[in-house]
Amino acid sequence: MNPNNELEYEDMIRKTIKIINKLGMHARPATMIVKAATKYRSEFKIVKSDMEINGKSIMGVMTLAAEYGSELELIADGVDEEHLIKEISEMFANKFGEE
Amino acid sequence: MYKLKGNPVAAGVAIGKAKIIGKPELNITRRKILSHEIGSELDKFNSDLKFIINELDKLIEDYNYSKENRDILESHKMILEDPQFHTRVTELISEELLSLEHAISKYFTEVSDIFDNMDNPYLTHRASDLEDVAYRLLSHVMNVRKDLLNDVDDKSILIMENITPSFVTKVFEKNIRGLCTEKGSKNSHSSIIARSMNLPMLVNTIGLLTKVKDDDSVIIDGNDGLVIVSPTKAELQKYQQIFVQEQNNRNELLKLIDLEAVTKGGKKIELMSNIEIPQEIDQVLKFKSSGIGLFRTEFLFIDREDLPTEDEQYTIYKEISEKSAPHSVIIRTIDVGGDKLSSILNITHEENPNLGCRGIRISLQNVPIFKQQIKAILRANSLRNIKIMFPMISGVNELRKIKDIMDICKSDLKKNGIEFYSDIQIGVMIEIPSAVITSDALAEECDFLSIGTNDLIQYTLAVDRDNSTISDYYQSTHPSIFRLIKYTVENAHKKGKKVAICGEMASDKELVKYLLALEIDELSVSPGRLLLIKKEILNTDLAEAKIKLEKILVSKTAEEVNKIIRT
Repeated sequence: MNPNNELEYEDMIRKTIKIINKLGMHARPATMIVKAATKYRSEFKIVKSDMEINGKSIMGVMTLAAEYGSELELIADGVDEEHLIKEISEMFANKFGEE
Repeated sequence: MYKLKGNPVAAGVAIGKAKIIGKPELNITRRKILSHEIGSELDKFNSDLKFIINELDKLIEDYNYSKENRDILESHKMILEDPQFHTRVTELISEELLSLEHAISKYFTEVSDIFDNMDNPYLTHRASDLEDVAYRLLSHVMNVRKDLLNDVDDKSILIMENITPSFVTKVFEKNIRGLCTEKGSKNSHSSIIARSMNLPMLVNTIGLLTKVKDDDSVIIDGNDGLVIVSPTKAELQKYQQIFVQEQNNRNELLKLIDLEAVTKGGKKIELMSNIEIPQEIDQVLKFKSSGIGLFRTEFLFIDREDLPTEDEQYTIYKEISEKSAPHSVIIRTIDVGGDKLSSILNITHEENPNLGCRGIRISLQNVPIFKQQIKAILRANSLRNIKIMFPMISGVNELRKIKDIMDICKSDLKKNGIEFYSDIQIGVMIEIPSAVITSDALAEECDFLSIGTNDLIQYTLAVDRDNSTISDYYQSTHPSIFRLIKYTVENAHKKGKKVAICGEMASDKELVKYLLALEIDELSVSPGRLLLIKKEILNTDLAEAKIKLEKILVSKTAEEVNKIIRT
């Protein structure tokens, strides 16, 4: 890992997703994301417009306050980055089991 | 002397000294530390944090049965394990030289400010979670915690804001006389447990915490829903008499635990228990009930935002089956009105919910949910002591649909190689008049019948139980009810099937002997009433009851029936 704790831009994964569950990013989805993300060793960040947060931090994810229809970018970097991105983006696609 | 009104959870009188169980207040001093103290402050942070996370883990285990509470505690744990939390507090200590308590409280103030400024309604309720977590950690860091039950003894009456289910159990073990909370509801898990333990308890007692002081003399009247603070001598005497009487009755009943439930003539009656939540099983075992005649599964579905998984249900059913063995457990599939599930299902508003989508109708309209429940039950039955029962059946049609769905469940499980037990007895609730009238057909196509008297009365007399303006129409001793029960029993017995009663009528000590005279095979009552009903069974002279029953069956009004019962 580089000392500035910044993501290495060459070999990380970025994926843009849209929030399609009606209630948006409230407490329960936030908890689900953090729970899933912390299982992986890779670093995980979520970017919304100009805000970047640690995807393994419950406070971070909740303060995104991302609403229905907003776009987020998921960024993962590390040995298991692909699995992480796959699991998290599936959660978004499944609307966090809400409907 | 003054009196406060509360909602009684369990009947009975308790007299004692008030003991207020509250949270000690935290006074955070905005202290700065010296730079050589940074190391020890950070060490303390790490060890205190570890302690609290450990404590949360134990609590999460404790809330095994309540997914809602468990989820809350898990989110609390997540807040404390948040890397942002760790980084920020460390920063505040080592760079701004704040003391640990100051740093923690500052962090939580910062986060709450962020939430306060967001207008997402789904996040605002997090504020109270943050407060709870902060309090839990800070009270430990500041060492202001004490064992809440330290100076409590067998004369204490606990006065609290609210109470958790595990705390009710703890209180009970300490032989506390009674308890009273400012908040809470009659149907919370804590209340259900208190009720099955016959622990005098009031909830929703407004003004309690401001009016009652430590060591005040208090009376809890669980019969009339009153708390009496500093009673007059006359009042105290009156309640002491009631208390002694109740105590004697209770001791008399406890002597019946090991006796079989047989009538005077020696006819054995299966006396079983109704339970609403799994924790009640402890009382069921203590009172040596002959099994569980009604295990309601609603607690799994209500007051939450998601559905219980098949595995979650399986674990609970299996545990109850194991604890009850060798006795049987009758699991009833979900029985609520659609309004209770509106947070998880798409339920449209109904003009007349009592005649609407409820009970089995919900299950048949939401087959995937129904299948999960059936599969969980089929899988859990390794001891073969589980029976399955369906609510709100109007006739054979629903029963056939259910059987088809059960067959699909079995072949699904088989296809996926999942272990299950297909030989399970199925029964239906008799609570709709059409089910009574066609009970011969129902008995032919299922294994047992169980009469839910509350709904049967409601649907027979067309009277809403919760509508107080017409409550005098709700007559549980209306002659029609006795005739319907008789008709059901005769039809079932002709087909060689048993009939149980699991409604409130079975818990009514004045009516028990007539139910026995009607040849009911099993009675299922709440654990708190079990011994009382056993006493009635032991005192029943069937021949005598049958003579009176004949008169009841030809009575014209409930008033006439009541007269026969009371003479």
